[in-house]
Amino acid sequence: MAGLAELGRKRETRFGLLLITPAVLIIVMLLGYPMGYAIFMSFQQWNDKLGADHRAIGLANYEQLVSDPAVHEAMGLTAYFSVITVVGGVALAISIAILLNRTFRGRTIVRVLLLVPWAVPPVVNGIMWKLIFDGSVGIANTILKSLGIISASVQWLSDPAATMNILVFAETWKLLPFLCLLMLAALQGVPRSLYRAAAIDGADAWNTFWRITLPNIRGPLMFALIVQSMWSLKVFDTIYVLTGGSGGPAGGTTTINFLAYLTNFSNLDRGYGSAMAVGIMILVLVIAVFWILVFGGFNRKRRAADA
Amino acid sequence: MDTSPTMSYPISRRNLLQLGGLAAGTLALAACSTTSPQSSAGPLKTGGKPSGQINILDDNTNSVFKDSTIAAFEKQTGIKVASYQQGNFNDLHDKMATMFAAQDASFDVVMTWAGWSAEFGQAGWLQELDKTAVPSDLIQPALDAVSWRGKIYGLPKFVSVQTMFWNKDIYKKNGIDPHVAPANWDEFVKLAKKLTTGSQFGYACDMGNPAGAYQNFLRMLLICGGEMYDADYNPIFAGEAGVEGLTKLVELLQLHRVMDPASLQITNASDLADLFARGTTGIVFNWPFQYAVATAATSKLTKDSLGNGLIPGISVTSASIDGSEGFAINKYSKNKEAALAWLQFVATETVQLQIVEKEGWFPVSKSVLEAPTAVAALPVLTTYKETTRYVTKRYGTPWGNEFDQALSIQIINAMNGKTSPKDALASAQTTAQGLVKKYLKK
Repeated sequence: MAGLAELGRKRETRFGLLLITPAVLIIVMLLGYPMGYAIFMSFQQWNDKLGADHRAIGLANYEQLVSDPAVHEAMGLTAYFSVITVVGGVALAISIAILLNRTFRGRTIVRVLLLVPWAVPPVVNGIMWKLIFDGSVGIANTILKSLGIISASVQWLSDPAATMNILVFAETWKLLPFLCLLMLAALQGVPRSLYRAAAIDGADAWNTFWRITLPNIRGPLMFALIVQSMWSLKVFDTIYVLTGGSGGPAGGTTTINFLAYLTNFSNLDRGYGSAMAVGIMILVLVIAVFWILVFGGFNRKRRAADA
Repeated sequence: MDTSPTMSYPISRRNLLQLGGLAAGTLALAACSTTSPQSSAGPLKTGGKPSGQINILDDNTNSVFKDSTIAAFEKQTGIKVASYQQGNFNDLHDKMATMFAAQDASFDVVMTWAGWSAEFGQAGWLQELDKTAVPSDLIQPALDAVSWRGKIYGLPKFVSVQTMFWNKDIYKKNGIDPHVAPANWDEFVKLAKKLTTGSQFGYACDMGNPAGAYQNFLRMLLICGGEMYDADYNPIFAGEAGVEGLTKLVELLQLHRVMDPASLQITNASDLADLFARGTTGIVFNWPFQYAVATAATSKLTKDSLGNGLIPGISVTSASIDGSEGFAINKYSKNKEAALAWLQFVATETVQLQIVEKEGWFPVSKSVLEAPTAVAALPVLTTYKETTRYVTKRYGTPWGNEFDQALSIQIINAMNGKTSPKDALASAQTTAQGLVKKYLKK
């Protein structure tokens, strides 16, 4: 009997493997092969404009990555963009989700309206903000002038710092719906009894949020932080549209991912560009691990406190 | 009786996995191996009677090809144009680079200009043409746009040179004679000051992206009598002429306040042309198509209210920048002879006349440039003839993209007053020296 059961289990395993094989093959072809090829290229001197003979140069591209001032500058801009969009974006999403979790008239309509930015394609999002902040015909200047806040048109997209802040604003606008929905779903999973008990114990709003809400949404919160970190590091389309494909003005929106694009496609330096791409991939992994460790530590502390 | 034991080798799962892994590894290594562009017997010559079919990738500048040229070409040569695809100029570089890198022969003919001829030519992705394949009456700047270091990688489809356009209505409103072009830069600045009132600006340009910043600086450099590189491609643009040119450009924005501040965020010539056509800008330096945009039904200007003349010089009488376009042949094309036939057909007098008359671009051949019908159809052609007496350059190089990116950062910083023109150009020149060394192995 045991033999038959073992045979059945093996058959089931084989059948399961058979079922996942097409998916695995597709993943390997669409993700594994390009990634492997990029890693291979990153160890080569592969600049198309220097000829078709590419030679292995070991870690030279990675050494250049560490010492390149353009990379340092792009990393600085990436850090600025990411910190605001990840920490600020998630914090804003939690705040909005808490408001939307309360009962009020028109809540359903507000929840639906929240989805509008999510429905806008990324390129359209970029074009929209470009038109809004256009220095000649943009509506932002028209509104600010009519309110008497400014007297002359502001050239928002000609100043590197202003353009970066518009980029942050445009991306936050785009990402909020998803984060809000995620947080809202998480909040709806928190047992109401916990809030009732806290109210009986006389907990104020801050303590209720800090000791009940936050610990109970830590799973989705970690997911939101990891996903948003990945998206912030690989921001591309809005920059491309907003700046006419340049990452300007004066390199003011050239984040590390955009620099990798410029290096690969504009400069045709695919060896160095691949090293950048691999570096970004490692960075994403490191940040994901960082968030897991942060929340893992948080969980351990909670368990220790509970014990 | 055969007594030898029968040998059986059952294939285990481990064997299968090993075999699969080996095959995958072999395939991966094969894919990783790099190959040079297909060897060629040298520059392509005209020969025999080409046939078959070709595919063309163009930018969306011209409509005459799909309207009539393709049909005429097919009828005359018997070669079928299987597809004619147009794309936004700003998107074409990446599309073409990806296609070439993959050794893809989907398109036999691709659009090119000075920058790409140098870049893709040096990469070995464009088919070099023999001098015998080049029509004899081509205008030199047009041929320069498809050449790099003495090698010809295509044939031009039209010539584009910047000239000055002004709004005569605004001139009249401000009491300025609309028929007289400024003789020099000082006169231009005086005019621009008079034309600047309220939300109306005397001058606007497009320097919102790296290529735009480069073009605007190059024009200033040339009208100051300067050069980007010496004969050996050593960068020399940070000299006196360059600093003077950039200083004068900065002054238009910061000191004289005659430049529309939106110029720093206008990313292409089409947007500049539209801005001018809205009738609130006095003067622009733009490509020939500005004439068609400014005289279109939607424009605030008409043929009578549009002025056109030479760009006023600072140390020289005038100078301009070139933006001519052409067609090149994909190195991996399977039908290069037919592709060459298309390139040659576009350069013929009949097609060139259509490009002048229907689209407002300058012709690539001397005979059409002198044709009275062409001048009658495109009055700005007269100005173009005058520009041929002065320096017109573009300096297309393989390192153009990297350099434009680096230069634009410095130019924008100078325009915003964050660095001096001298320091900005010194920094850009250092970058250029590194790039020249890298790409020319000097």
